[in-house]
Amino acid sequence: GSYEFMSWKKKSGGFCFPHKGLKPIVSTESPALIFGTTTKLASDLPATDSFLGKNKVPDLQKIFQKADGLPVHLKRGVPDRLLYRTTMALTIGGTIYCLVALYMASQPRNQK
Amino acid sequence: MAHQAHSYHMVDPSPWPIFGAAAALLTTSGLIMWFHYNSSVLLTLGLISMLLVMLQWWRDIVRESTFQGHHTPTVQKGLRYGMILFITSEAFFFLGFFWAFFHSSLAPTPELGGQWPPTGIKPLNPMEVPLLNTAILLASGVTVTWAHHSITEGNRKHAIHALTLTILLGFYFTALQAMEYHEAPFSIADSVYGSTFFVATGFHGLHVIIGSSFLTVCLFRLIKFHFTSDHHFGFEAAAWYWHFVDVIWLFLYMTIYWWGS
Repeated sequence: GSYEFMSWKKKSGGFCFPHKGLKPIVSTESPALIFGTTTKLASDLPATDSFLGKNKVPDLQKIFQKADGLPVHLKRGVPDRLLYRTTMALTIGGTIYCLVALYMASQPRNQK
Repeated sequence: MAHQAHSYHMVDPSPWPIFGAAAALLTTSGLIMWFHYNSSVLLTLGLISMLLVMLQWWRDIVRESTFQGHHTPTVQKGLRYGMILFITSEAFFFLGFFWAFFHSSLAPTPELGGQWPPTGIKPLNPMEVPLLNTAILLASGVTVTWAHHSITEGNRKHAIHALTLTILLGFYFTALQAMEYHEAPFSIADSVYGSTFFVATGFHGLHVIIGSSFLTVCLFRLIKFHFTSDHHFGFEAAAWYWHFVDVIWLFLYMTIYWWGS
């Protein structure tokens, strides 16, 4: 559908998508663990609790569910922005370089 | 508070698809500049941007699923269909190279001496390193299944051990193949024998490396508690891919290595 490109537009009808761009969602409940308590979490097991680190997923879930209107690829702030801008610089810069190189390569050689 | 009335995932606007397309453009035109104009700038740019796009796109999927909870059973079903279809397309990719092999080997031309292996080609002994490689990949299929069972049973230690073992076996295979490539008495330029051998086994080797990388990411996520006992599709996808790589090897071994020697 058209949502992928214009998800910030208000959609009329029976239901609305979360308008992360225009209206920050006011969280009425604290973010709970997404996975219900019926599934066995690895951290539930007593003996292997601290085998290779502790479970930081609940903290990360809090960070990524913050109602700050940021898209998922920029949700962590500065490190995400840096990586994004680097990728953009390389791809857009590279595309321009590429078009120039292809243009030059398409010019006829005058000998032979 | 706005809520969706369906169980699908309407993703946030993302730059990775278009950047990925640009990376593909840079990589392909980079290959041309490298082949014909002896310049590897574009190719390097292309490969780096491809890597950056893949890292960030897949990182975002982990964020959307594990941290934001968007992967409902409906979404997971779609992902399962997607992975199956992708693996099927890869099967067809290899089918082409097997076709090429049989095309040349079932009716060897006079230029090859009317025989297969062609005159002068000393094929690798299928009972030596290739047989070991077969055992390695079969064993890795067992260990990855052990890892899966450990995950569903909530046994964190066993899961980590089994998945680590799987990855180590994968590395062992790659190292042995690299050594075989280095030591082989024939090269890719040695008639259609060399072409079919190195292109088919070469692409397989690339898929082993891809599969090992996928499994390594899963190990990382397993250690970081991303998987639960009944939601771990990333791992399942990696395991499917790994089994596929194993099956392709079995076909390669039986046809090119054994029948073709």
